[in-house]
Amino acid sequence: MTAFPRSETFLERLLKLGRRAPKLEAQARSAERPQGPQMKQPTYADVEAQPKRLLEVKQRDGRMNRYPPPESWDDWVEWDSKAWPKKVPRRYTLVPTICFNCESACGLLAYVDKETFEIRKFEGNPAHPGSRGRNCAKGPATHNQTYDPERILYPLKRVGERGEGKWKRITWDEAVREIGAKMRASREKRLDGIMYHVGRPGEDHYANRAIKAWGVDGHNSHTNICSAAARAGYYLWSAGDRPSPDYAEAEAILLVSAHLESGHYFNPHAQRIMESKAKGGKLIVLDPRLSNTAARADCWLPTWPGSETTLLLSICNHLIQNDLYDREFVRRWVNWEQTLASLADWAETDELRALADAPRTFETFDRFLKLRYRDFTFERAAAEAQVPLDRVEQAAEIIARAGNRVAAHTWRSATMGNRGGWQVARALFFVNVLTGSVGTVGGTALNSWNKFVPLSYRNPRPFDAWNELHLPHEWPFAMYEMSFCLPHFLKEGRGDVDVYFTRVYNPMWINPDGFMWLDALRDEELMKCHVALTPTWNESAWFADYVLPMGHAGERHDLMSQETHAGRWIGFRQPVRRVAMERAGKEVEHTWEANPGEVWEEAEFWCAVTWAMDPDGALGARQFFESPDDPERPITQDEYWGWIFEHAVPGLPEAAAEEGLSPLAYMRKYGAFEVSKGASQPYAQEIERADTHEVDDLGRVLVDGNPIGVMVDGVPRAGFGTPSRKLELFSQTLFDWGWKEPEHVVPWPLESHVSPRAIDREAGEMLLLPTFRLPTLIHTRSANAKWLYEISHKNPVWMHPEDAARLGVKTGELIRVQTEIGAFVDKVWVTEGIKPGVIAMSHHLGRWRLQEQDGIGAGMSNLARLGEEGSARTLNIVHGAQAWASTDPDTSRVWWQDVGVHQNLTHAVHPDPLSGAHCWHQKALSVRKAAPGERHGDVWVDTEASMRVYREWHALSRSAVDHSPDGTRRPLWLKRPLKPVANAYRLPEKPFGR
Amino acid sequence: MNYGFVIDNRACIGCHACSTACKSENEVPLGVARTWVKYTETGTFPDTQRHFQVTRCNHCANPPCVRICPTAAMYQRDDGIVEFDGDACIGCKACMQACPYDAIYIDPETHTAAKCHYCAHKVDLGLEPACAVVCPTHAILAGDLDDPESEIARVLSREKVSVRKPEQGTAPKVFYIEGAAVNLVPTATERAPESFAFADVMAAAPEDRPATAPGPQPQGLPSGGPITMGRTRAEHMVQVGYNQQHQVPWHWPVPAYLVTKGVGAGVFGLLALAFLLGIDFDPLTAVVGGLVALVGMAATTALLVYDLDQPKRFLYILMRPQWRSWLARGSLFLIGFSTLAGAWWALETAAWLGFAPASVAATARPILLVTGLPLALGAAVYTAFLFAQAEGRDLWQSPLLPFHLVVQAAVMGGATVLIMDAGMALPAGLGSVALWTLAIGLGLDAFLLLFGELGTSHASEVAARAAHRITHGPWRTLYWGGAIGLGHALPLALLAMPSPLAHAAAGVCAVVGLYCYEHAFVMAPQEIPNS
Repeated sequence: MTAFPRSETFLERLLKLGRRAPKLEAQARSAERPQGPQMKQPTYADVEAQPKRLLEVKQRDGRMNRYPPPESWDDWVEWDSKAWPKKVPRRYTLVPTICFNCESACGLLAYVDKETFEIRKFEGNPAHPGSRGRNCAKGPATHNQTYDPERILYPLKRVGERGEGKWKRITWDEAVREIGAKMRASREKRLDGIMYHVGRPGEDHYANRAIKAWGVDGHNSHTNICSAAARAGYYLWSAGDRPSPDYAEAEAILLVSAHLESGHYFNPHAQRIMESKAKGGKLIVLDPRLSNTAARADCWLPTWPGSETTLLLSICNHLIQNDLYDREFVRRWVNWEQTLASLADWAETDELRALADAPRTFETFDRFLKLRYRDFTFERAAAEAQVPLDRVEQAAEIIARAGNRVAAHTWRSATMGNRGGWQVARALFFVNVLTGSVGTVGGTALNSWNKFVPLSYRNPRPFDAWNELHLPHEWPFAMYEMSFCLPHFLKEGRGDVDVYFTRVYNPMWINPDGFMWLDALRDEELMKCHVALTPTWNESAWFADYVLPMGHAGERHDLMSQETHAGRWIGFRQPVRRVAMERAGKEVEHTWEANPGEVWEEAEFWCAVTWAMDPDGALGARQFFESPDDPERPITQDEYWGWIFEHAVPGLPEAAAEEGLSPLAYMRKYGAFEVSKGASQPYAQEIERADTHEVDDLGRVLVDGNPIGVMVDGVPRAGFGTPSRKLELFSQTLFDWGWKEPEHVVPWPLESHVSPRAIDREAGEMLLLPTFRLPTLIHTRSANAKWLYEISHKNPVWMHPEDAARLGVKTGELIRVQTEIGAFVDKVWVTEGIKPGVIAMSHHLGRWRLQEQDGIGAGMSNLARLGEEGSARTLNIVHGAQAWASTDPDTSRVWWQDVGVHQNLTHAVHPDPLSGAHCWHQKALSVRKAAPGERHGDVWVDTEASMRVYREWHALSRSAVDHSPDGTRRPLWLKRPLKPVANAYRLPEKPFGR
Repeated sequence: MNYGFVIDNRACIGCHACSTACKSENEVPLGVARTWVKYTETGTFPDTQRHFQVTRCNHCANPPCVRICPTAAMYQRDDGIVEFDGDACIGCKACMQACPYDAIYIDPETHTAAKCHYCAHKVDLGLEPACAVVCPTHAILAGDLDDPESEIARVLSREKVSVRKPEQGTAPKVFYIEGAAVNLVPTATERAPESFAFADVMAAAPEDRPATAPGPQPQGLPSGGPITMGRTRAEHMVQVGYNQQHQVPWHWPVPAYLVTKGVGAGVFGLLALAFLLGIDFDPLTAVVGGLVALVGMAATTALLVYDLDQPKRFLYILMRPQWRSWLARGSLFLIGFSTLAGAWWALETAAWLGFAPASVAATARPILLVTGLPLALGAAVYTAFLFAQAEGRDLWQSPLLPFHLVVQAAVMGGATVLIMDAGMALPAGLGSVALWTLAIGLGLDAFLLLFGELGTSHASEVAARAAHRITHGPWRTLYWGGAIGLGHALPLALLAMPSPLAHAAAGVCAVVGLYCYEHAFVMAPQEIPNS
């Protein structure tokens, strides 16, 4: 579209003397700031050198080269693009790292100037097996984050009241000493006083190892607002945490997600999904909104949220009734004997109960499947999901034709949107099971088969502690910590926190019910010390006691592996300036010496703070951070990673030796290593059976009573990590722990809190889908990436034209959306790309700051005022984005004003009764045109209503106190990110609230 | 070597990676873009679709931006890459008018034109452009179209491809597999959006579409855009979800320049014609007339230089001219005419002040006036050829424009002389020549406007759309009130009155009216989207 001239009157047009639209007055922000001066913009050295021409190197497919060849990475000359066509050479050393802007851990290659050590750009790393040298929009934007003029450059300590915004710059030494002392004081008193609350982990083991070294139950995550429900569904089937589809080879790809634009692992997944499509694979997408992924689908199923389970079961039923399922796979790997044996206990019809007495043959099980799922017809699915019948049929046909090459994935989406969403994942994996697509080529593996986490150096033992604030007794099946209810738990008096670390986490902003978080973060009795480890300002860090700047993708050490495809790899994140300096012969002791300002990295920080906490080793923590050569000094990063690469990554030492490098030097050079390739089915692996092994009546091979495998057709095989060692269609665990009803024990639809019955559309109620994500957003960390914000900065409410006509609003006009606990005002985007009755908002926009001069950049955030009266809380927007003057001339060119609306504040917490996951979808009690005086971005919430809704959902939970079969808090086989010793599982003598 | 791109829309997922990789590789400032992903949404729920289109410079085989560039800052390399040299650019923005694809912008840092240059600085080392490297789904293919072995050549020979606006004759070399008409055709969407799905719109264009009407509509101007997929938005959506936004390159200095140039050339031309018709005029008339012509030309030059984004480089037009550009050619007319008019005026003034013998002036007068006449004509008319080179603005490419500019110059000449006449005693014959020139000129001009350039049908939809914006859209008040009413009807009425003051007033009205018309004529086509 060209030309959006300002609309002007005739006179203005005639009299207009300015040639261009008037520029926003760029406002200077304060120069004297506690967090240090504005980040300087990079400069590159003038050199005399000739670049190497690669024209002689031709690709087989006739393309040009895409990357400098690795042998030239250490000394690479390129023409300066800005001076071009003048030929100005620039000389770089190329240092690989991995991206930090989602969990995919894609490879990046940093071009570091050999003299100034400034980073010119981040390109893809061709040596990375997951991302294969390619990136999404967020990869190159790492440069923005690095040179964000508003980034925090030095450790800060609060000097005024919490949230007052008064800070003093301190040294790292002071920060480490003071925080270490607080940790020691807490640790000496108790084992549940330190809490590490992580948003973006960005690594696989280092922080967890530190927590274990401290001996506390200290791990808290964001997972229960992210993916916990999907994980629960997969776990109940298979003891696998999440799916790892082999998209590239799939015939059918079934997504309850938007992996062509978001989710784990967007870029590596998108590459392979489109590869499959190019080869004729078919893509089916369930989403009430026309996501970019749905736009590329061969079959888009715009389901009413909560109906996904029914729709997926109709596909299953089609396979079952028509004998299109993989009988042999199901017979070998599903716990059908156990299922049949259980029928007498739970089957609700005579027909089904009769099967309990029938011969325990697979034919009986086949009969069971046909009876149990026969009501899931296409017609029923189409009616409940409100989608065209022919599309349901089409989807089922695609699946039926795909053999055992069905790659399926769900991560957040419907599983996290709806109450009972864990059954969506269970129904989805049912499709994999019925088609036998489990670990097959083109099928769906489990994450651990494609993820490689090496054993760490000196592994601390599990702790003997249980933090009630993480996993209270009411939710024994909570897949991850009940993190988003922390403020509600604190308000109920369940405990307090001595040292609260937030790590790349902005709990007040990202969680539902943020005003409850605000109250908690301000309360110095409950949150005694809050340390924010963050690469950039965020709303929660503003209320912290210490704000410690931690590095972006090119500023830190981390080791990561992700199950991006059929194969296993590790990626090594590096502080690229430090590596470049070391390559140039400079000595760097701490990474903060090489990073901008004094930005540090957690890997060194955890080591230092553990030494400060346990200076004499009396707590037993220090030993894990001692140098292998000299226990009297902390371990260095080279020592730590050198040990792992040498001892714990099969094949790496050999690959390094081939190049004449040490394993560490190899990883510093290439940044990634492929551990293995291709699809695998570890469950089918034959195990050696010794005479001492017993076999029980479930066919399990036992050693000292513990199952290590399962007999399949007379052959001992590894099986799955479930209690039956099989894929569990029927879950004995759920049955034993009080979820005995037929709709729980097997894959079955549960009614969502936003089902059509719950939303009275006649009365003007609507369903707010608040979770979708744009391909350019990094959760709440996009706000220091100008190229990303320039493309996407606002989150208007998507609305179908029918609804818009009913409300009398047009695109761009304001509406007020009332939720159970509050209301917000936002603009409307009218589109046919959304289901009537559903409104949707992208998730990560609406950032705000409280002071004009400080905090998140003025072009990326609203200036806001907080208000409080009794239980009422308000957020009012003073003004939207503005251009501002900084070290980066681009900030004066910010041309947008709307930076979105912080909708999450108005979301009530909805802890799923079983999985504990937050059920994101919100019931919009009313949606109407905004009244005069209601302004864009304004938010109002009643925190009394917050607690009321919390209690309503809390009442639906089934406590271990009432249902535990063995006096423990939680089934032992369920995953916990950090598992304590078995002893810690005993229910407390005085459970809270009893 | 002949570089081009294939954009494989079957693989594109609309992720914007190419956009940020380009910003990173080429250090492109905020507010402008060398490549972007256009989103268009179509359909009726649940039969809805979103179309993505990677949009950028087409590296045309026949690049109009190169042809129009007066300093060869925009140039075509031997390997087919259309490249630019910021150091040579004077910021005239003509290339932005010539490009039918919105590919060029003015860099806010360097104040020079810039665009996708195929990462030539990388290609020269044997490396692919940054966008092709980053693309997660290999939807951007870069390579040599002439090499039968290359991936891009093989794909091109196999697949059905389309290009943007082939009718412009630019031979674009960005080929789209499964190009979507609603994205390829910039005016396909019903209207300029007030917002995008996730980004602000800088300022919405004023509405100019007639209400949807079934059946025949004005020729070449289908209401709702050239691609109709239903009638109303609720029944069948066609809306832009995201697009790069572009600034209008030329504003008031350009129409003002057209007026001052008309005055300068017109006064001189009228005096010369009058002289040739045998109307003898006194030295004072020659001095004042010459001065007015010179002031007109000086103002013209000043406006031209003022409108440059690199005004200090205005001499580059002469120092490194690219002679196929009508900006460069036009500058010769302007300089030639100004020099001659200046010489004449200097001679007449010297004679009038007594510094030179009157006989010298009298002898030189016919020679200078006769030689000057074609130069004045050239100065008046060359802009028509420049506008014709602006291939991004179809309305400007009117075959009537050269003639129209002559008529305008005549009108300005007549008007100016009548104004002069009110202030000083001009020879009687000259006044009536001016009066008749103005009267006939206005009549002709009105005819050209009403039944020529704006009143008839147009060869292309975008020209029709631009004309419609002038006559029925947001510029209609300026056009009907300013250009037609104030600029033609009123002066014709005033000329009918037997008063020199009324005649002078008619002249003033004609000048103001011309500005009104030119303003609308310059602005409206620039408001029609090219991407």
